[in-house]
Amino acid sequence: MNARVESAPQAAPLRRAVIVLLNLLLAGTFILIFALPSPRQRAYSERIPVRFWHMWSGEWKDVVDRIAARFNESQDKYEVIALSVPGGSADYKFLLAVAGGDPPDCMAQWNQVVPAWADEGMLVPLDSLMTPEEWESFQSTAYPVALKIGSYKGHLYGVTTGINIWACYYRPDHLREAGLDPDKFPTDLDEMWDWGLKLKCAGPDGSITRMGFLPGWYAQYAPVFGGGFYDSQTGQVTINTPANLRALTWLAGKQKELGFDKVVRFQAMLNTGGFSTQWPFISGQYSITVDGQWRVEQLAKFAPDLEYRTAPIPPPKGGRAHAGWSNGNFMIIPKGAREVAGAWEFIKFWSGVENPERAAEFYTWGGWLPLSRRIAQAPIYQDYLKKYPQFRTFLDVLPSENIQVTPPVPFQVFLWDMVGRADDFAMRGTKTPKQALEDLEREMQQEIAKRKRFGL
Amino acid sequence: MQNNRLGLAFISPWLAGFLLFTAFPFVASIWLSFCRYDIVSPPIWVGLANYDELLRNDPRFWKALSNTLWYAVAAVPLGIVTAFALALLLNLEVRGMSVYRTVFFLPSIVPAVASTMVFMWILNPQIGLVNGILSQFGVTGPAWLNDSRWAMRSLILMSLWGVGGSVIIYLAGLKDIPVSLYEAAVVDGAGPWDRTRHVTIPMMTPVIFFNLIMGIIGAFQYFTQAFIMTNGGPEDSTLFYALYLFYRAWKYLDMGYASAMAWVLFLIVTVVTAVVFRTHRTWVHYGG
Repeated sequence: MNARVESAPQAAPLRRAVIVLLNLLLAGTFILIFALPSPRQRAYSERIPVRFWHMWSGEWKDVVDRIAARFNESQDKYEVIALSVPGGSADYKFLLAVAGGDPPDCMAQWNQVVPAWADEGMLVPLDSLMTPEEWESFQSTAYPVALKIGSYKGHLYGVTTGINIWACYYRPDHLREAGLDPDKFPTDLDEMWDWGLKLKCAGPDGSITRMGFLPGWYAQYAPVFGGGFYDSQTGQVTINTPANLRALTWLAGKQKELGFDKVVRFQAMLNTGGFSTQWPFISGQYSITVDGQWRVEQLAKFAPDLEYRTAPIPPPKGGRAHAGWSNGNFMIIPKGAREVAGAWEFIKFWSGVENPERAAEFYTWGGWLPLSRRIAQAPIYQDYLKKYPQFRTFLDVLPSENIQVTPPVPFQVFLWDMVGRADDFAMRGTKTPKQALEDLEREMQQEIAKRKRFGL
Repeated sequence: MQNNRLGLAFISPWLAGFLLFTAFPFVASIWLSFCRYDIVSPPIWVGLANYDELLRNDPRFWKALSNTLWYAVAAVPLGIVTAFALALLLNLEVRGMSVYRTVFFLPSIVPAVASTMVFMWILNPQIGLVNGILSQFGVTGPAWLNDSRWAMRSLILMSLWGVGGSVIIYLAGLKDIPVSLYEAAVVDGAGPWDRTRHVTIPMMTPVIFFNLIMGIIGAFQYFTQAFIMTNGGPEDSTLFYALYLFYRAWKYLDMGYASAMAWVLFLIVTVVTAVVFRTHRTWVHYGG
């Protein structure tokens, strides 16, 4: 007891010293954090910064960084600072940045945002940055689908830097094995379905081990049957139309024929971790499949020895050739951006509005479909097509007027979710295709009525 | 007074955070629920229109609510019974008991997203562990998360994965029961089942009550697993209330509507909790 009393006066200064030291350490750490230079050093600090957000990562981010570097090398006024924002939260971040009054100067998007954001007045109409001659030239040279992707109510809000087109990929080795001639690929959808049945393989328990051809994804097939979800003449959403019903009935019928449970189990078995190398077409689990043009580049990288060919989705009788659904990557400039002029410079540079021959190279880096014919005709792009002949199918489909995009209405995301839901109900057999479309029509009318009531 | 000020100064970072990020949004959401608000434009007053729309014209709202209620009714009691049974087992005097306790607690500290991803593989209809085991007995397992009849049941079963936290609370409660009560019961000739039925369970009712309340609140806020695994599907069978609220807010940019949904949920949780509280006098026993 005595010892503790005696030692107390000695311990107090020591404790105080330790506390002071710890506090100093803490303060020092804080100062260091703020004093240390940012890990991202600007290469051209004397130039005007153009803050550019995108959602690419991994191999794609490298491509974007290279394009930004090329832009920075090309001129002496602006410096594009590219920032990869995680895709899952990029839209929220963008919205909050706009609401907070500090948005990026431009952003590369692929989500369905143009109608909703343009309707809110959040985007700069890019045609307002062009002279009348430039705008006219843009409209006449850009592919129709590029205009559809970026436009809303007669104005251009997004310039595409890559368009996605879907077509058939098929494996000649499987075809030969099944006694089918790869040189005579079907030109009719029903014929392709018959081929699919011949190519299908099943295990001893009846489960599907190889899918010949699996039709699915209503939004992609509705235009093939001559349908679609938007009438550009009237500006109205179209749902319960004979062509749309025909498409859904066909798809649901085929699903039923294969056996819904069997299809679910087959799809669950596939390596669909999202990695390019795990695409079931590579492992031979699909003989014919409908996918996007980016697979050409990936196949060259991850399965260079795989023999495959591509063909447009064949229409059914009375359907439309070179039809389908499309989306793409496009550049937007938010209202409130500090460097609109710099952002526009960068967009012109990348998309090829300014110099199609130069931009053609960027499109080949990402395996992207170009904005205009002039880019496609550039020698460097033609070389790319020679290198990857399978890519030409997608370029052939690209100019088609039958390619549709998600309806450009402000409730686009809601509409698309509901279309997907109707698809799900019909394909699982819970609702008849007719019932699914009638319900979808009613839900959409309710939403439109609600928007009217809210004064939108 | 001096001490109070010093104390307040110390908790001021938390206070500031609480006021700014919890209290303010909480109060603001009341107002926003009467507005049309899309984050970017200023809110526009619409009166009761959001509530009206929600209750009268939105079948998905009712679907989400019924899904959530169904989950709460099934998963909460199941969780309580399982956790309690495990706690009883883990309270036995057996060699190496601390290892068993650790094993049962471990899953509850695995991040929800990580365990959810693992369960997606476990429940895979074709190459999953569960159907693999079932096939050994000649049973063709269901398509679990891919089947609208089984998706909700899958999530309910999956909820048992995280009972470790409750088990620890029950274990602490079990340790608190005075030994004298068991001794008296033994003297009166009570067997193991009678001791559990007439001593353990009544003495544990405050802990069960606590877990019940927490379980109900948790069930009404169920989100992560459905968001990652099913996205509300197939066919809206796992469209939970919180998930639908999130979609309305962030996907469809309908913050006013989502705020109204949040307040309806708050009201429901409050009423359910109040009802459970009302009943607690009849079945919860405090003290020895």
